[in-house]
Amino acid sequence: MTDAVSTDLSARPVGSAVRLRLVLFMAIAAFMVTGPVIEQGFGARTAFWRSWTMFSAIGLGVIDASFAAEQPDGTLVPLDRFATLGLRPGGKYKRIEDTKELTALVLELCAKLGPGADLRVTARQATREGWQVISTDERNVCAL
Amino acid sequence: MSALSDTAKARPSFAQSLAARFVDWAVNSYGSSRSSGLLRIGIALLFWSRWAGELLLYMNQSVIGLLVSVNFFVATSLLFIGYHSRIAAIWTGAVGLTIYYYFGHELGREPWTHHHTYLLAIAALLVALTPCERSYSLDRYLAVGRARRTSEPLPLERGNLWGLRLIVVQLSVLYCFAALDKTNFAFLSGARLEHIFMWFYSGSDYPALPGFHALAVAMAWTVVLLEYALAFGLPFRRARRYLIWPGIAFHVVLYVALPVYTFSATMILLYLAYFDADAVDKVTERLHGRTDLEGKKIPP
Repeated sequence: MTDAVSTDLSARPVGSAVRLRLVLFMAIAAFMVTGPVIEQGFGARTAFWRSWTMFSAIGLGVIDASFAAEQPDGTLVPLDRFATLGLRPGGKYKRIEDTKELTALVLELCAKLGPGADLRVTARQATREGWQVISTDERNVCAL
Repeated sequence: MSALSDTAKARPSFAQSLAARFVDWAVNSYGSSRSSGLLRIGIALLFWSRWAGELLLYMNQSVIGLLVSVNFFVATSLLFIGYHSRIAAIWTGAVGLTIYYYFGHELGREPWTHHHTYLLAIAALLVALTPCERSYSLDRYLAVGRARRTSEPLPLERGNLWGLRLIVVQLSVLYCFAALDKTNFAFLSGARLEHIFMWFYSGSDYPALPGFHALAVAMAWTVVLLEYALAFGLPFRRARRYLIWPGIAFHVVLYVALPVYTFSATMILLYLAYFDADAVDKVTERLHGRTDLEGKKIPP
């Protein structure tokens, strides 16, 4: 705003032309501000207005999970879900996108480990409020 | 005493002087049209980069699909070469909004509903309010030809810069509300950046990198503070010199790290609106080899 824009006073319109342009300027600026105010201020989401909340929903639901198998002596040994299921690392189940997919993975792991398996899952899910713990390693998920 | 009070009456208050300066800045500034011309060309290239491949005639053979494709290529071509530049800019913006609202939101083509598509359409419409036809355009070429034929003075590469000012407002609004949206515990605790990183990179295995969480927290605060600084600092010359490179670096990192499509390139292009139009003009003169490093004219 502090730019010293070169002045070409003779070419400048005066009076009503400036006023008209100012009214249009303020109207367009108000339009630009209204979208984000409507969504971020009043929580109303519409397709018409843009709220500039880029990447606000990306990553939500993703699950940070680690797996361990309890040994007969009570120690927990980390379990590689890809190796256990014979999957290519980074392929299926690389990104567990929701609890439904986690449940499916747990069922597959339990089936693969066989009867009497003791599988512990530590997991938390991405939410708008941060991380939400959904499973601790206190329970054998194969026994549930 | 009365003379003193008369002087006080005649002198505008701080608010009046601020308002007058704002009006002057917003709608009564005149300067070189070259930055507007460059914006016009850049927007056309970005439209092609974003949509040309997806709007080839065989891609959607419905009547509305063909109609949008034809309009897209004609409007953006006119915008690129600068023939009836302002009409072409409005036309291009209208095509962009049709893609965004109709194909994106109405017909459910999700990638076309993203922020970057809206920004591109709006940018084209705002360019229509700049003197974009007066530089680097077929319009300029024809106007110069006409002037030469009629022995009139060459048309000036100058115009009212209110369109550039509106682009500045748009960018500040964008940065400000992007920062506001992130000003919460989930983002500033680093959790949201961890979510995004895991979604695109590590999957459901928390990165084993030592200090990853601390890095996520530091980056979260940096992003939010930078966005506020860009929103309120970039319009001012003194702050701009410190913010322009961090701003560009921010968008470059976003461009290479996340699927932001044309968003980063559009933002960096629109940064041209922040600069004094006559300063941009001087840089182009130097590029054309017509002035030396001190700005003195080099004889032809």
